[in-house]
Amino acid sequence: MIDYKRRRLFFLGAVCAIALLLNNCKSAPNSDRTTTTTSPTNQQVLVYGSGGSPVNLEPGNITDGNSLIVQQQIYDRLLEFKPGTTDLQPSLATSWSVSADGKTWTFKLRPGVKFHDGTNFDAQAVKFNVERWWDAKNPNGYRNAGKSYEIWQQIFGGFKGDPNSLLQNFVVVDKSTVQFVLKQPFAAFPAAIGSGFFGIASPTAIKKAGANYGTPNALAVGTGPFIFKEWRTGDRVTLAKNPNYWQKGLPKTNQLVIRFVNDPAARLAQLRAGQIDFTVDLAPDQIKEIQSDPNLVAVPRPSFNVGYLALNTSYKPLADVRVRQAIDLAINKQQIVQAFWGDLGETSPHFIPSILSWAQSKNLTKTAPNPQKAKELLTQAGYPNGFDLELWYMPVSRPYFPTPKPIAEAFAADLSAIGIRVKLNTKDWAAYIADRKKSPGFQAFMLGWTADYGDPDSFYYPHFGPGGTVDIGNWKNDQVIQLLNQGRATGNQAARGKIYAQIDEILHQEAVRLPIVHSQPLLTKRKNIEGWIPSPLGSENFTRIEKK
Amino acid sequence: MFKYILKRLLNLLPVLIGITLLVFTLLHLIPGDPAVVLLGEIATPEQIESLRQQLGLNQPLPIQYFHFLFNVIRFDFGKSIISGIPIIDEITTRWPATFELSVAAMLIALILGIPAGIFAAVRKNSWLDNLLMSSSLIGVSLPVYWLGLLLIYLFAVNLQWLPPSGRISVDVGFNFKPITGFFVLDSLLKLDIKTSQDVLSHLILPAITLGTIPLAIIARITRSAMLEVLSQDYIRTARAKGVPEYFVILKHGLKNAFLPINTTIGLQFGTLLGGAILTETIFSWPGIGSWIYEGILARDYPVVQGGVIFVSVTFVLINLLVDLSYTFLDPRIQYK
Repeated sequence: MIDYKRRRLFFLGAVCAIALLLNNCKSAPNSDRTTTTTSPTNQQVLVYGSGGSPVNLEPGNITDGNSLIVQQQIYDRLLEFKPGTTDLQPSLATSWSVSADGKTWTFKLRPGVKFHDGTNFDAQAVKFNVERWWDAKNPNGYRNAGKSYEIWQQIFGGFKGDPNSLLQNFVVVDKSTVQFVLKQPFAAFPAAIGSGFFGIASPTAIKKAGANYGTPNALAVGTGPFIFKEWRTGDRVTLAKNPNYWQKGLPKTNQLVIRFVNDPAARLAQLRAGQIDFTVDLAPDQIKEIQSDPNLVAVPRPSFNVGYLALNTSYKPLADVRVRQAIDLAINKQQIVQAFWGDLGETSPHFIPSILSWAQSKNLTKTAPNPQKAKELLTQAGYPNGFDLELWYMPVSRPYFPTPKPIAEAFAADLSAIGIRVKLNTKDWAAYIADRKKSPGFQAFMLGWTADYGDPDSFYYPHFGPGGTVDIGNWKNDQVIQLLNQGRATGNQAARGKIYAQIDEILHQEAVRLPIVHSQPLLTKRKNIEGWIPSPLGSENFTRIEKK
Repeated sequence: MFKYILKRLLNLLPVLIGITLLVFTLLHLIPGDPAVVLLGEIATPEQIESLRQQLGLNQPLPIQYFHFLFNVIRFDFGKSIISGIPIIDEITTRWPATFELSVAAMLIALILGIPAGIFAAVRKNSWLDNLLMSSSLIGVSLPVYWLGLLLIYLFAVNLQWLPPSGRISVDVGFNFKPITGFFVLDSLLKLDIKTSQDVLSHLILPAITLGTIPLAIIARITRSAMLEVLSQDYIRTARAKGVPEYFVILKHGLKNAFLPINTTIGLQFGTLLGGAILTETIFSWPGIGSWIYEGILARDYPVVQGGVIFVSVTFVLINLLVDLSYTFLDPRIQYK
């Protein structure tokens, strides 16, 4: 009996000890909240809720948004985009110019800039970075360790020695001047090299870390506003202010913590609880919850994407342009966008978003759905009773299609009104993106695109240029290809605008990828966060953000 | 006993080879590969093929498998195709997080589940029994995602008593350098009360979420095991001798009913250590479950293979421990 009494006493004692240890539980999160806002050391700590962990912190070797946003803070690029726009401005290069033939781009570099490790930024550093991306044989690229730098190939056609490579030569003119010599003119080159992928990293740091550069236990050294401190796998990246940043007075915060929170509902909950200060890529239907919380402010990112319905011309009914036009006329895009995106989506007849309005055709206007005319077109094409259509919807949520299945059901309902019997289908995401390109591909499918750099070329070339139409039955229009090349070769924006307007009109007429929506990804911040101007390109540096 | 352990450990080998073969085959049967995921929507077939070649994915599957098996024997699980991080590094960083959460969840399940089962058995068919068993039925059926978010909104967003996610607060985390990776243990080793409180407060909500299902299962198993034991003759004899009722229940009842409960605890704990994808995702818990899940989505073969092998070994070892514990719980059992 005494034995039991002792045990009970021990149990009670253990419970009391745990209770004592936890007695401050109630204040623990509050202290988290208050110390980050009031204690002197944490006053300038900014916590960003990222949609997931970065893949790595090595420029040129990633394509995902979670890596890009962290790299934006650590690295500068030769050029950057003015906050909230797609207009270029100087960064590590103070000026840039192109030769008369449009093939040689010269960049003057900013003097006196140092990497976080204290080494100098100069023309040799740019050369080191460009060559490891471009030259597959460069030993500093560590390709034998599985690195591929595929984004370079995607944007600039190929690697060194490849006939499709746009870059012919890279020249160091002097310590502060570099030249990119291209095989063909490419007017969007400054925008492409200024895109978030191509941050300039310290050659010394890369040589020191070798193939591990940019991974959690290694280095990530740039010239950017924040210095890499720590990466806790699956949890957070911690960055500290670069006291020697070349833009005086920036950044405005001392510490930047990037926490990885994959689930949008969990991200919003953390934001509401004050554990993070600002976050991105919430679902459009979360807007009501955001608006109901007085501590939060919704911040839409300017749209720079397109969600489209692709029609594969290798299938008989869809090979006829009248059938494709009928589908375009039958779908009530306005109603669908209003229902699924609310104010965060815009429907338009253009494949490119309105921020690039200089390249849109003025002759195209929004047209109301017209099932009657659609039926007439089907009849003319020889399908008065419609036909069976297999429509594939994405198994994942993306800003351009946040809820793919219900949206696909809305398409199916509209198409059934003109006699097209839709069968909905989907498959695993990795298989979805691969199988649509395997001949004969999907008959009709939903997909979208957020452009890599601020130019219409980044929308049109990958979708309608050489090799870009495999998933729509290798559809080819010589005039479009010719105009795309003209657009690349022409320097003057007004002249380019006319070229792209023609492409816009042809694509509207051909109706192979029907633009459904240009959506604004939903971003949210706490009320006391100021200075955040989201970039249409999907990621921006946080130099001007501060906590009031 | 030693011989038995050795035999069981040797038996592990064919199990592991079976697991590697199964994981490898299943993974390669799923359509899509890492090259496609890495290159995104716009890549051309030529670009995909060139990357597949670079990643060694164009080799015949048996060669890829033997290459992988050979490396595993040398404890080389390779690197993540997507991030380049060595698998062993990821496991050593993430496993302590999963272990800590599993232990906390299991403690909750045991502290509440066993007494609930005992009470229900002792007060069989009473309102208390009905209440406890209906609650446990609800516990088993609750969707984890929903329960996790509900707890976050109630205790973190509205009442603001507990942090909504993560393992440690941002400000506390700046100066906290983990020693073992088990944050509770590390903070206690450093005699850092503030960090201990912070780390424990972060554990509560995910542990409740993760512990609910094992709690309900353990309560139900305890009840049925106790009911069977309490109807035995020796219990009646003990009562007839005038042994106090709580002594009868705990000493004569629970001890004899513990074998099936112990087996259930072992299985549940093994499952928890495999990582809880949903709980880890909702609470941004940097554990092993969410990591393997992301690996599957990205077709990151080394991550999935390494992760699953590790989880399987853990599961088998936990069950070995459970088997060994039978001799302590019931001296009549002997291993040969």
